[in-house]
Amino acid sequence: MMTKQVRYEALVKALHGDLYRYAYWLTHEKQVAEDLVQETFLRAWRALDSLKDEKAAKSWLITILRRENARRFERKRFEMSEYEEATITDTKSVTTEQELENHWLREKISQLPPEYSEPLVLQVLGGFSGEDIASMLDLNKNTVMTRLFRARNQLKEALEAEPVKRGTYNG
Amino acid sequence: MDDLQFRRAIYADPNNQDADTVAAQKEDPSKKQFAQEISKLDERIKQALHVPVPDDLCNKLILRQTLASHQVHKRKNRVHLALAASVAIVGGLMLNFLQFSSAYSNLGDYALAHVYHEQGSITNNASSQVTLTSLNKKMAAFDGNFSESLGKLLFADYCRFDGMKSLHLVYQGKTSPVTVFVVPKNEQLSFSNAFNDKQYFGSSIEFNHSNIIVVADKNESLGQWQQNISETVSWSI
Repeated sequence: MMTKQVRYEALVKALHGDLYRYAYWLTHEKQVAEDLVQETFLRAWRALDSLKDEKAAKSWLITILRRENARRFERKRFEMSEYEEATITDTKSVTTEQELENHWLREKISQLPPEYSEPLVLQVLGGFSGEDIASMLDLNKNTVMTRLFRARNQLKEALEAEPVKRGTYNG
Repeated sequence: MDDLQFRRAIYADPNNQDADTVAAQKEDPSKKQFAQEISKLDERIKQALHVPVPDDLCNKLILRQTLASHQVHKRKNRVHLALAASVAIVGGLMLNFLQFSSAYSNLGDYALAHVYHEQGSITNNASSQVTLTSLNKKMAAFDGNFSESLGKLLFADYCRFDGMKSLHLVYQGKTSPVTVFVVPKNEQLSFSNAFNDKQYFGSSIEFNHSNIIVVADKNESLGQWQQNISETVSWSI
């Protein structure tokens, strides 16, 4: 009993940040992302005995989270078919140059089609390899690599398309 | 590795450490520059993706789990309580059943057992005698009446006949006392017309509300007793 508790708490401490960020990029809403992470960890607690390999914990949790997210759509059709650009922006006051750039880039990332942004988040934040992502998303590796390529390509083009506004910051 | 292939590989994974891409970067400085560019882009993407995590999320997650497992615990306790209660109820019922259900299934068996139990406590030549009046007083409880005495009545009192209040009469017989039971009708014991064992035999007479059972040793004429009883007893309902 106690060891299970300890395992669970270690899991939460180590992975809740990554999972929250993943959920955020999946849903684009802070509150929904938080709920999703809570649901995910609650399920993870119940099924904790089925987690044999601690190294696989992250992908295991992400699989649970994706399933939870899909369930959310089953439960009710989401009212927002198209999210407003304004709602996805980070409300944190933009102070530094770095923050401003992050803010701008976040908008661009959230404008990516989800099938592009999801593998990107998994690769950059999760540190998963192409094979890992392919098995998690149930795709083949070539598709994943193509999507990663397109995702970065689009972001790069978007960055290059804003030279005037960004010029002052880039110096 | 041509340029397009290289670009695709780098775009797909800027940290690509494949031998081909590493070699291509060494050969061609422009490719190396491109790779660095994308690497920088990736660093920026990484920072952008690093949205702030709510400070209290970690604690919330642990709290929620603690509460949830507490609930489960409570539910488990309730299950245990229910189990204990069930066992107690079953135990109670068993005890009830054992205590109040009869070990005998018919009148005859019980009557014989009863007679054996009292054997020896009343001798055939006892001097005590019960009068017809006091017998009929007792019979009133069964709405019955004897018009005349069946013989020398040695003993007459209520007793428990398999949990039922009944009248236990002992008459003087030829060699040993003859026992007569007046028992209210009951579903529990099946009526047995005639019964016997090595020493005794007996028979039952069925009336509207009661049964009268005669048990005697084998020197007695049961038929005579039965006839006498049938002729002398009368019921008010």
